[in-house]
Amino acid sequence: MKNNSLFNKLSSRLDELSNLPKLDDKVSISKLIEEKGFSRREFMGWAGAMASMLMLPANFTPLVAKAAELADRLPLVWLHMAECTGCSESLLRSSTPSIDSLIFDYISLEYHETIMAAAGWQAEHNLEHAMEKYKGRYILMVEGGIPHGQSDYFLTIGAHGKTGEQSAKEASENAAAIFAIGSCSSFGGVQAAYPNPTNATALSNVTDKPVINVPGCPPSESNIVGTLLHFILYGTLPALDVFNRPKWAYGLRIHDACERRGRFDAGEFVEQFGDEGAKDGYCLYKVGCKGPYTFNNCSKQKFNQGTSWPVQAGHGCMGCSEPDFWDKMGIVHEPLGDRLYHTAFGGLGSDATADKIGVGILTVTAVGIAAHAAISLIKKPKE
Amino acid sequence: MIKLIEKIEGEAKLNFNFKEGKIDFVDIEFMSTRNIENILKGKNAFDALVINPRVCGICGHAHLIATVQALESCYENLELSNKAKSIRELTLNFELIQNHFKWFYLTLFPLFGKKQEILKATYPSQLMAKAIAVFGGQYPHTSYAIVGGVVCEITHMDIIKLQHYISQTSKFVEDNLVKTDSKTFLTCKDADALLDYEGDLPDILREIKKMNLLGHGKSYDRFISFGQNSYFKKGKSLKTKVSHNISLEHVKESDIASSFAKNVSFKDEYYEVGPLARAMINKNQLIADAHKKYGDSIFSRILARVCEISKLLEHSKKLIDNLDLNEPSYIEPSMDISKLNSIGYSAVEAARGTLIHKVEIEEGIIKNYEIITPTQWNLSGGTKEKQGVSQKAMVGLDDVKTAELVFKSFDVCSVCTTH
Repeated sequence: MKNNSLFNKLSSRLDELSNLPKLDDKVSISKLIEEKGFSRREFMGWAGAMASMLMLPANFTPLVAKAAELADRLPLVWLHMAECTGCSESLLRSSTPSIDSLIFDYISLEYHETIMAAAGWQAEHNLEHAMEKYKGRYILMVEGGIPHGQSDYFLTIGAHGKTGEQSAKEASENAAAIFAIGSCSSFGGVQAAYPNPTNATALSNVTDKPVINVPGCPPSESNIVGTLLHFILYGTLPALDVFNRPKWAYGLRIHDACERRGRFDAGEFVEQFGDEGAKDGYCLYKVGCKGPYTFNNCSKQKFNQGTSWPVQAGHGCMGCSEPDFWDKMGIVHEPLGDRLYHTAFGGLGSDATADKIGVGILTVTAVGIAAHAAISLIKKPKE
Repeated sequence: MIKLIEKIEGEAKLNFNFKEGKIDFVDIEFMSTRNIENILKGKNAFDALVINPRVCGICGHAHLIATVQALESCYENLELSNKAKSIRELTLNFELIQNHFKWFYLTLFPLFGKKQEILKATYPSQLMAKAIAVFGGQYPHTSYAIVGGVVCEITHMDIIKLQHYISQTSKFVEDNLVKTDSKTFLTCKDADALLDYEGDLPDILREIKKMNLLGHGKSYDRFISFGQNSYFKKGKSLKTKVSHNISLEHVKESDIASSFAKNVSFKDEYYEVGPLARAMINKNQLIADAHKKYGDSIFSRILARVCEISKLLEHSKKLIDNLDLNEPSYIEPSMDISKLNSIGYSAVEAARGTLIHKVEIEEGIIKNYEIITPTQWNLSGGTKEKQGVSQKAMVGLDDVKTAELVFKSFDVCSVCTTH
């Protein structure tokens, strides 16, 4: 069995974890889940779905379930920087049965500014306490871009009037693992769009510790929860692509698993919102879909418990999990195909395979897509 | 003098000044900003549809609707189908509903010494978020509304799903919030009668009474609301005198030296916005009764916000029943945006009150963009002589804890405020 060694490795990691003290002796996740009316069967169903999302075979389901039950061994610190709170919102809305929200909201959260009841000095004290008590053990999740350098005063937090940059640096110092949740802390986000008036930057630019990026605006709840579970299971950082995104989630383009991909291949495009093609679910490339340039698993995981995702609703992907998509992927309702798409990697960018930048692939794909769109119906000229 | 950092959605600093044991003046300060308005300058006009929802993850959808309406007002003779109008209204209603649940169970509950009810907050808000996702593809941060309509082509199947989400949410209200059938609650006209019901809302209202807080948190008794749709009316209310003839021209924004937020006034006066304001202008009988008995106090403010959940659920059902799926979702504007030189305004009712967007376009490029958010209205930091709405509501209270309750009864959100 090829999987045996991994299975054994994960099992022993979980055994180790189970020897650690719980955050709170009075609650256990399995009891909580039961109390909230979820059957063991439902819980295992959820664990099975998580296992497949993390690209593990089905026989790993019991391990994922166990990992979820052990989430209270690893305290989680969540910091807000310059942001809109959308990522927390995404998390608060994670799937019902709210097993994910149970895990997050009841057990692991030592410090989360939006939902925690404590305020002011008390909250700040909680944070310092958590960071001291769980030194080297806590998982740090940061939401929001960080005004940086001489502009750091654009974000001042807490009773001591620390800048966001300071807080983020300090919290990063003794964390067991650091995750930048959302495009803002991963890449700077909307506030870093030109002209970046507050000089906002990514978490990875203010700390020298390794940062795992979980971009998306917002990332789906399953990517946030999956990131946590992955760390519990493996105890190491996941395989990453060139932008430090976990490959299990950001390994494929939106385009690759898109439900409208068949339409693209058949050359059936929506030429204008509201046309017959739009009604029939044609490909949205010509009305601005950036799915071919965007690495994420939206087309598989969807949002709001798998209810829908932008392409299903008839709006093209806007590339929100790519660096600086605000400046680089506009105009929102127009295709990128005939324009040069520059990114941080010397103009090569994310149109390469996920982990390897290849100029050849970029050119071929971009030209390919543009040409493909062109030979089907010509877009209606604008008046 | 006590300093306190208030934990809201984002942060604000409240500086309490006491005089003879009572709060004399509260200084409100915002300590962070992202400067989104500057980022919008020079961008293509339609990019605002993607950028603006990110002003706030809590009420991002209101920002989307405000953006699309502001852009549309730049056109002459822009056509919009009733279907598109209703769909936009529906998604906005859903956003308001889910927000009120979260505020009630996550923010308000702990202030009364109760445990935060996270699952009670998330269950109905998840349902409403799913309802938005049916139209918009995701929540938060959809950009499904575009100039000329909406992108979604919904089917009867989607309608069935929506009806399900709405009825589940109504059921949640009946089982938890006010334990009676929705119809009884919706037709109740006596605020005191509510105290005899079972449920989380009557519990809180009884608690207010028990703690002798009934008359606390009164402010100017001046309300305003600019957002207008098939449910909300535009107007202002001075005590109970309502007039609908108001204009955005008289809304002014001004800088504050010590804070990243700006003050907002109407004809140089501060007005309260939000569910209480909307209910007063809409002449909601239950809220009018509460107002008659307890004025613009926390009792009325809390009741108005929660009551809006049921009202909007009810109204959303009607909107869905009247949707004609055969109408177009999108009607192409007669003029291309790149030819447009114009100024546009919009006002929509977000969860916390009136949200105003103003855009100036030159050949399809944004020349200037201004956003006035609801919390700016309520939290305007005035001087001691001329205090803002929430400042005034806290004056005269004995302790910081009650002041915190009064302050949070406005459901403040600083993420938006400084944008």
